[in-house]
Amino acid sequence: MAFDPQTAANLAAGIGMGLATLGPGLGIGYLTGNASQAVARQPEASGDIRTVFIIGMALTEALALYAFVIAIILLFVV
Amino acid sequence: MAAEEGASKIVEALHELNVQTVVSIPKVGPFDFSITNAVIYMWISAVVVFAFFYIVARRMRKEPDGLQTIAEILLNFATGHLTGQIGEKGKKYYYLILTIFTYILVTNIIGLIPKPEILKPYTPTANINVTFSMAISVFVMVQYQGFKRHGLRGYLGSWLTPPGVPKAMARPLNAIFFPVHLMGEFFKPLSLSVRLFANTIAGHLLILVMLGLLLQYGGLIIVPTALFVVIMTAFEVFVAFIQAYIFSLLSVVYIESAIYAGH
Repeated sequence: MAFDPQTAANLAAGIGMGLATLGPGLGIGYLTGNASQAVARQPEASGDIRTVFIIGMALTEALALYAFVIAIILLFVV
Repeated sequence: MAAEEGASKIVEALHELNVQTVVSIPKVGPFDFSITNAVIYMWISAVVVFAFFYIVARRMRKEPDGLQTIAEILLNFATGHLTGQIGEKGKKYYYLILTIFTYILVTNIIGLIPKPEILKPYTPTANINVTFSMAISVFVMVQYQGFKRHGLRGYLGSWLTPPGVPKAMARPLNAIFFPVHLMGEFFKPLSLSVRLFANTIAGHLLILVMLGLLLQYGGLIIVPTALFVVIMTAFEVFVAFIQAYIFSLLSVVYIESAIYAGH
């Protein structure tokens, strides 16, 4: 059975998106865990910790979103 | 046959993500200056931002009333990290960061309000052109500040091997450091724009696909799907805040890295 390009693109979009959420998922997990630990240890520094946490979350989340954009391109453009 | 109809219903729901021309203007060369629904919603959000701050500024008092309290909270939220990150030099960028924050926030929120078909609903931030042009303006400002503060030699020099490395090692290492830094500078606006665009479009896509499923199948599946859509919309309001905050915060971080380049 041969793949036509559309099927291959749909398959690649699904599998790629699934794989691409693994790393950022782990990353955000570590990030949130460590941030909450830091707040628990030093509640008075929670403002700074929140800023660092949001920057880190934005940078981590962006990786999954790049894959999402590629998946959208594969689904609708290719 | 049924599957094809289902696909068509969902695709119909996804029409909200299409740019539609409202007033068509003949093309000038390769440029299309037609007024689309994206442009109209950008104008609306700009007018909303302007009108809000104009009204607040006109009736400013020592004891803030409701509107002024909202404006003050917004100001602190949008620009509180400015002096924290850059210090006293950051005061200059107050208006840029505040404009970026409020404009993205208002655009996102207006895009989330459900609208009838006749208003041609569209969210400008779900368009890569809009977010990329905002990111490019931040990029140009950052590079301008970098070159202005450090001069051509100083700024480009800050991309080379840091001082303290022996001369014999620094030369070959420069061949790696310089292209990496150059690439990093150009990836900044790219990641900034793709982050906002992808976040917005992901939320809208999810909600629209769920609504399309709801229209297609009906029956008992309506209850969990509608509940999911409601919760997801509430979450998107939160995401709209966070994305506006992240865009302005990262702009501040990039400005800071250009001002203190080489430190």
